[in-house]
Amino acid sequence: MIPAAAEPLDLVFAALADPTRRAILARLAVGEATVNDLVAPSDLSQPTISKHLKVLERAGLVSRGRDAQFRPVRLEAAPLAGAAQWLGDYHRFWAESLDQLDTYVKELKRKEARHAGKRRRK
Amino acid sequence: MPANAAASESIADREVVITRTYDAPARLLFEAWSKPEHLMKWFGPVGWPLTLCEVDFRKGGRFRFAMTGPDGRQNTPFGGEYLEIVPNRWIVYDNGFETPGAEKMIVTVTYDEKGGSTTLTIHTLFASVAMRNEHVGGGFEQGVGSGLDQLAGVVAGMRARERS
Repeated sequence: MIPAAAEPLDLVFAALADPTRRAILARLAVGEATVNDLVAPSDLSQPTISKHLKVLERAGLVSRGRDAQFRPVRLEAAPLAGAAQWLGDYHRFWAESLDQLDTYVKELKRKEARHAGKRRRK
Repeated sequence: MPANAAASESIADREVVITRTYDAPARLLFEAWSKPEHLMKWFGPVGWPLTLCEVDFRKGGRFRFAMTGPDGRQNTPFGGEYLEIVPNRWIVYDNGFETPGAEKMIVTVTYDEKGGSTTLTIHTLFASVAMRNEHVGGGFEQGVGSGLDQLAGVVAGMRARERS
């Protein structure tokens, strides 16, 4: 349940902190892809995408196939599951509670405004 | 005792700070924390509503909560004592599961209002590093917030693939 060492998880979260890398993972969640497949829908150059892939690979989030020509990129589930588990505990608890509080406080504000309006009209 | 074990462990290794800014006055947010009728509307993760919510909201008063998960079973109750209450400014309470030998965390909720919006800070001090890791894991906060939704999407996609 709890990751044995913090360091691999640090790499995972550092890798996830970048929107381009998250977009790459989202694409790979659909199925494996070549570097060219990943470059095509983005505005980024192949070297840039390759640099991002290296970060993801170091974090263990993706692996590369052996096909010498295309070396398809594949999503690796385990570290991501570890990260999701980490987020699943205390932080998720508060993130979701505080989202719900936001909705609820807006409701309280509306109610208060309605009551204030009634009082003014009296 | 946990309190003694904690003494040798630095506070920085035992704490977690979470903040959120709301477009609402502090008194409404404070109110939302102070009564079961409000707490039951928002406290807990999505799909895990409070189904036990007893609140004696005064210094030295106690609270007792339990959530029910999607499987319909009520989770282990948890709760503690309100250690300090300053209306619209802060609430301090301790909190732990009702299991034998369970350690407690001390939670300080601060409401900081500026120009109609309020920054809420939830500072949690766990009794020990072991307790912190049990709740939070071994990782550290690194630009995680913005990635949460996308990550959830990615994981959902992977699960769907595993099933197919």
